[in-house]
Amino acid sequence: MSNKRFTLDPVEWAAWMPPVDAATATPRQRAALEASPQRDSPYFLTLAHDVDSLEQRSPLFHAVMYAPRGLPRADRELATVVVSISNGCVYCSSVHARRFVELTKRPDVIQRLYDEGLDTPLEPRQRAIVDFAARLTRQPQAVTADDLRPLRAVGIDDLQIHDLIHAIAMFANANRLMQTLGEPVRG
Amino acid sequence: MTADILDGLAGLAPDSPIALLRRQRDAFVRHAQDSHTALITPADPGGLTLAERAAVALRVATLEGDAALIAHYRAQQPQPAADAVPRRLAAILRHVELVTATPGSATQANIAALRDAGLTPRDIVVITQIVAFVSYQIRVAAGLRALAAETRA
Repeated sequence: MSNKRFTLDPVEWAAWMPPVDAATATPRQRAALEASPQRDSPYFLTLAHDVDSLEQRSPLFHAVMYAPRGLPRADRELATVVVSISNGCVYCSSVHARRFVELTKRPDVIQRLYDEGLDTPLEPRQRAIVDFAARLTRQPQAVTADDLRPLRAVGIDDLQIHDLIHAIAMFANANRLMQTLGEPVRG
Repeated sequence: MTADILDGLAGLAPDSPIALLRRQRDAFVRHAQDSHTALITPADPGGLTLAERAAVALRVATLEGDAALIAHYRAQQPQPAADAVPRRLAAILRHVELVTATPGSATQANIAALRDAGLTPRDIVVITQIVAFVSYQIRVAAGLRALAAETRA
């Protein structure tokens, strides 16, 4: 599991199949790539092999991570890091851990999650988010209204819980694409 | 107006509080619905038939044990499933189990095995996107059911 070492350093990603060649992409592929977070990355050029799904997934991903109001962005990023740790996605955790740190200036929170695991001591709001993210990731069928109580106890409202559910679910999605179509490459 | 699939999977009546909560995030609703069309019932399915697409989604739902999704994707199968699973579909479903249950253990050899079974890069991306999308649906539906249960408590 040495290649599963989580990091706050940037990580590259290499595809296990030839990605679409940006120079010969169709107009639809180019448009779908334009709506993706990093249009020239081998990851999105790989997903561009099926333009039908990419042209829906990129705007869905963008909305879930960046829609205004609702759950603060830092909380969405924290949830996606927890999901990525649970699923072992080194690339996803690196990208979104750095987003969390940009927003919060709290690299210590991420480093403790990496070093000590998801049970490391945290502030109550972060504790509630981390626990719910791990639970919905690992045991979605076991989730009940009781699992929402710790979120309610720290003042997280309906729309924020709605957003949290979607951020967690989006990384059930992203981690599977990232980990099975290619692999992280350390810079 | 086509019924919203995630509302159905989560057991939400259209005018229920949690269905209305979802409508505060119109883009989430629209792009999830259209992702389902793009992956399960596309106008041009390319190299992966509609039956194979439904079989991939059904296998994810079955592995995750979500009764609502199992019923939904069983109903998406264009015809009764054949008794004998063709070799190509068997290779696809082996990969689906890997991506669903242990994505962190995938290697380049798994992709090579699919290429050897005659699947194109687009086919492989579609299979992976379906597993990823159903994994998303399962967690959204589970979370929404918990929110709905809370409103009834």
